[in-house]
Amino acid sequence: MESTKTSKAKIAAAGIIPLVLLSAMIVYLFGPGAELVNFGTPLPNITIERVDFVESEIQVTARNTGPIDVSIAQADVNDRIQPAAIEPDKHLARFETALVRIPYSWNEAEPYEIGLTINDGTRFAHSVEAAAPAIKPSIDLVSYFAVIGTYVGIIPVLIGLLWFPFIAKMSPAKYKFFLALTAGLLLFLGIDAIEEGMEISAERLSGAFNGQLLVATVVVGSFVGLYYVSEKLVSRVSSASKSVAIALMVSIGIGLHNLGEGLAIGAAIGLGEIALSTFLIVGFTIHNTTEGLAIAAPMARQKPMIAKLAAMGVIAGAPAIFGAWIGGFQYSPISAIIFLSVGAGAIFQVIVAILKWIRQDEQGLLSAPTAAGIAVGMIIMYVTSILI
Amino acid sequence: MLFAIAATATLAALYFVYPITSDAKEEKIFVTHTGGVIKTSGDVLDPIYTAQTVEIDPDKYLREFNYGRTSSVDGKTVREYTIIAEDDKVMEISPGVFYNVWTFNGTVPGPTIRATEGDWVKVKFINMGSKTHTIHFHGFHAAEMDGVFEPVGPGGGQFTYEFEAGPAGVHPYHCHVMPLEEHISHGLYGVYIVDPKKPRPPADEMVMVLNGFDTDFDAENNFYGANTIPFYYQHHPIQIKKGELVRIYVVNILEFDQINNFHLHGNLYHYYPTGTYSVPSAFTDMITLSQGERGIMEFTYDTPGKFMFHAHKTEFAEKGWTGLFLVQDEVVQ
Ligand SMILES: [Cu+2]
Repeated sequence: MESTKTSKAKIAAAGIIPLVLLSAMIVYLFGPGAELVNFGTPLPNITIERVDFVESEIQVTARNTGPIDVSIAQADVNDRIQPAAIEPDKHLARFETALVRIPYSWNEAEPYEIGLTINDGTRFAHSVEAAAPAIKPSIDLVSYFAVIGTYVGIIPVLIGLLWFPFIAKMSPAKYKFFLALTAGLLLFLGIDAIEEGMEISAERLSGAFNGQLLVATVVVGSFVGLYYVSEKLVSRVSSASKSVAIALMVSIGIGLHNLGEGLAIGAAIGLGEIALSTFLIVGFTIHNTTEGLAIAAPMARQKPMIAKLAAMGVIAGAPAIFGAWIGGFQYSPISAIIFLSVGAGAIFQVIVAILKWIRQDEQGLLSAPTAAGIAVGMIIMYVTSILI
Repeated sequence: MLFAIAATATLAALYFVYPITSDAKEEKIFVTHTGGVIKTSGDVLDPIYTAQTVEIDPDKYLREFNYGRTSSVDGKTVREYTIIAEDDKVMEISPGVFYNVWTFNGTVPGPTIRATEGDWVKVKFINMGSKTHTIHFHGFHAAEMDGVFEPVGPGGGQFTYEFEAGPAGVHPYHCHVMPLEEHISHGLYGVYIVDPKKPRPPADEMVMVLNGFDTDFDAENNFYGANTIPFYYQHHPIQIKKGELVRIYVVNILEFDQINNFHLHGNLYHYYPTGTYSVPSAFTDMITLSQGERGIMEFTYDTPGKFMFHAHKTEFAEKGWTGLFLVQDEVVQ
């Protein structure tokens, strides 16, 4: 008893000592008064994350994304100094945000550049292509976003599910082709989501957040998380309902992806980018019908289960509504990147599930129908992405 | 385990997505110059209405003329001045904005040197900066007094500029070390006034140096002003007396911008370009000055009230080059 106790203590000490030494070294190198590692003058940085046009006022959300504290000294509109208020106060600690309220009678649809000057005289600016009134949550808008989400998310997926009888009656080779086709479609969507996340990171997020690594971290995290959950789910059910379990996982993955789509649409409307929002609505509506195909395919060898299929359609499509609400009313670049990355991770998990499903066949994974299916799926998505 | 990871991720996400807010403070209300009313619990960002703590005082500079230490040698008046250059000061040039100004005698612009045509002017220049500097005076002087080919070294280097004052008029002086734009735009300039032998009529005299600052070094000015501090005379109107002749020595020392101008409200002024001729070239309310251009303006207000003056290049006005004359029956100064 005694000896196990001491050995446990020894193990604990062995684990902790390196940590203590490491922290001591870090404090020595980078802590206060450290002179060994000197990278020169740290440059302040602030990022303008949001610009909202409200009644007789322009509201700017700014975040200190630099390595040192700053204080904001002045606001300007189109490089002309304007009186403004800043809340909670003008001093910003690292990563702290402040709301700058500039009384200004702005004109709808005109472009504006908003600038903030900090204590050392550096000016940081953000351009808005066309001023549009900021949207405020209201019953009307909430239902408007719900309708948009329904049209973009639920209805196309349900339409896609109507391919069920068509897939159900086809030969094994053709069926495999269609399963692979969905994998191809989804692969494209996953890459697309990552690209979108990278774009937001480059355009709207300061370098201080390492947005691209955030994308990588969240994609991998959500992939392994969902993979683990789906493995548990699929292993628990009988082999007869395995196809249903896979279809359910596919619809959950697509649902997470559609949350990202709704977010993009809501944000575009919220940020006043009318042209972009129309483009997104049309584009997502069309390609979401292919998602119905992806859900239907794993269950095509089963007897038709209309209720289950419809429920899965809703699981896959409804998150678009939530996404539109979040994007429209509470947009932030970081949450957008996180949602898009979760969606991408979910999609890759779905692809793996589908490929495993295909592999159960005696021909194995790499056969002509699968290769052709993946390629054709990618091409279909690529062509639609150009056309829209 | 999975739950722990999810919770960590969520908390981390929330930390970045939602702002950290400090405790709410008392509400205050402020009215902007365009009439906008804003209630806020935060701070006010406004160069006009924020209290200005000025190290460089435009009010003091406005009517301060430095005639030097005078003596008489062979019946000729000798005026001696000392100008010290420094380049390490960081000063608040607009509320909350701190900029490394390069100064003559600790201020931007440097002291206004004043002499009468024919006086012997001796300017002892001491360079206490970390870079080479000089003084180049506009006006008459010998080739070896030009402040171009006589670099004065940092850390206490000295040179005495000597010349006979002339011609009558208003002239700029500035450092003439390369890169010239850098040395001038940081603040190494001032005004040199030469009075004609036959004095100009008595007047309320003032100096306005139209300058600007490029605080983020993108070769464009972030701030404009008359006598350095943006919006200063808007916030502190210049008091003048009704019916009294006002004479302004105006010098445009702007870098980065080709032009600047001076527009007066409710009145017109007689304008004497460079001040070398005694006949005005125009009776106008608007003149445009290129870099280094200067002149004398004379006008009188016959009615009391507030009158604006500003750059008619409205960009400059909206970035600080704007002010007010407060015309009164009596002025307490
Ligand atoms: Cu110099």
